[in-house]
Amino acid sequence: MIEARGLTKRYGQKTAVAGIDFTVQPGKVTGFLGPNGAGKSTTMRMIMGLDRPTSGTVTVNGRPYAQLKSPLTEVGALLDAKAVHSGRSATNHLRAVAATHGIGRKRVDEVIEMTGLQAVAGKRVGGFSLGMGQRLGIAAALLGDPRTLILDEPVNGLDPEGVLWVRNLVKHLSSEGRTVFLSSHLMSEMALTADHILVIGRGRIIADAPVADIVAGASGTRVRVRSPQAGRLAELLQGPDTTVTSVEAGLIEVTGATAEAVGELAARDGVVLHELTPVAASLEAAYMSLTADDVEYHSAPTGAGTTVQQGTAPASTPQEARR
Amino acid sequence: MSATATVPATRAAARPSGDTRVTFGRLLRSEWIKLWSLRSTWWVLPITVVAQAGIAWMIAYFGVQQFDESGMDYTVTAGDIVGGIQFAQLAICVLAVLAITGEYSTGMIRSTLSTSPTRTPALLAKGLVVVAVAFVTGVVGTLVSWAVTYPVLGEAHRVDLGLEMNQRILLGAPLYLAAIALLAYAIGALLRHSAGALATVLGLLLVVESVFALIPWAFFEKISPYLPMSAGSQLVMSDNPDAVLGPWEGYGVLVAWGVVALAAAAVLLKRRDA
Repeated sequence: MIEARGLTKRYGQKTAVAGIDFTVQPGKVTGFLGPNGAGKSTTMRMIMGLDRPTSGTVTVNGRPYAQLKSPLTEVGALLDAKAVHSGRSATNHLRAVAATHGIGRKRVDEVIEMTGLQAVAGKRVGGFSLGMGQRLGIAAALLGDPRTLILDEPVNGLDPEGVLWVRNLVKHLSSEGRTVFLSSHLMSEMALTADHILVIGRGRIIADAPVADIVAGASGTRVRVRSPQAGRLAELLQGPDTTVTSVEAGLIEVTGATAEAVGELAARDGVVLHELTPVAASLEAAYMSLTADDVEYHSAPTGAGTTVQQGTAPASTPQEARR
Repeated sequence: MSATATVPATRAAARPSGDTRVTFGRLLRSEWIKLWSLRSTWWVLPITVVAQAGIAWMIAYFGVQQFDESGMDYTVTAGDIVGGIQFAQLAICVLAVLAITGEYSTGMIRSTLSTSPTRTPALLAKGLVVVAVAFVTGVVGTLVSWAVTYPVLGEAHRVDLGLEMNQRILLGAPLYLAAIALLAYAIGALLRHSAGALATVLGLLLVVESVFALIPWAFFEKISPYLPMSAGSQLVMSDNPDAVLGPWEGYGVLVAWGVVALAAAAVLLKRRDA
């Protein structure tokens, strides 16, 4: 269990984290989403006692991290895959970390095996790929068999097999009643892995809800309508609560009206419909709509589209793709 | 690797059990593993010993040759035998600085502080390991120096081990290296950057001290004997009634430099974000 109360971090004039409150519950996977610079890493570093909060508190299993007598068995963290001396072998890195808690060589070999690092365990970490570095970081996080796991971008740089492995691992760990808190910029990955989601933007928590709720909240009322009489239908639909956008000839998108309402209206006026599709928002779309105003670094007008394409975007319409 | 994609077994027979609290002894063990699992340690320490003994041999060989030619009456002291630590200290400083700045440059410091969240014990444990290794290296270097100079000096110039001064110097050489390592380590912990810390340590020992000693103004003449190397090296020099500081006083000043610098580093380590 991780609890933050009024957690704030300022660097000079700049506020990285602005008085956030949240609780990460045991027994489920909690995803931490946010655009670059939103405060994800700063928050995780404050949880781990690496950065000192300007004000507010954050506790792990009821205590500030710095008060934990045996931190590795309470919290395992992958904060930065490069938190390893590049001149040391993976085995020796893990031995050194384990030694601080009196954890023996047997457990070191065990986490090496669990993370599939046997072949490279004796090699110096400097030559590791990003994916191997992530596996080593996860191995270190698992050393103490901790009750709480904090993983910052754990699937970064992993191959598809590694991504699947991380997904199974975190689900398995949470099923054992542990607290799992992971950040990722891959929305699609989060949709498959997380049970609960915290969205942070500009240092504030802008959503804190189960994955299903977040998707439901954003999949409002967009309906795709294909009709040879699209222009006529658009006129009929015009109203204070609805907006109609023309996607291409004979294809419109309606926001603010349900598929049923559109269908009934069309039937009443004898408009022929070729297609009537409610567009369910993906987690990705939900995230985009939530963070639209909170993106720290806008990357040109096409920025949003680029991000969408990184993950799988089941609900991306032709309109979105072209935008 | 495909085996890892199945449901991972996180629990097994060897999962940590019993007392897993972080203790100072365990931090020492961790720092010991860290030091010896870097290649740099394995070449810096032999270089230190070779430098110390090599210089000692040269001093003995060419010194004896000169005195024999000039026919002067001269007594070789232990100070001549440990003369090599002037060079050995540079290698030890590099080791001590990199022991801590290497953690910052690679990001390892975040792993270190995560496992030792109160921070100060980790700083002290690493410092103790570095100082102890510097001392033992100094012992080895001094023994090898003695061995290689023994045949060169011959019966005529044998160092009198019965003299208290010579005993003090031979014991003082490893102690001096240990104290210099402490200062270098503390400066590394203060500055956190390898290049900056190495430049500061070597600049202080090689440039600042010589410059201060050269400038004939009263202010510099007053300060000069209290600078780390000038003060500490009194311990490995022959008795000199004119010296401002006695051997052990001078050594105390060097240790004080290291302790104050390490205390400052500890305060900053507590305060700064890692």
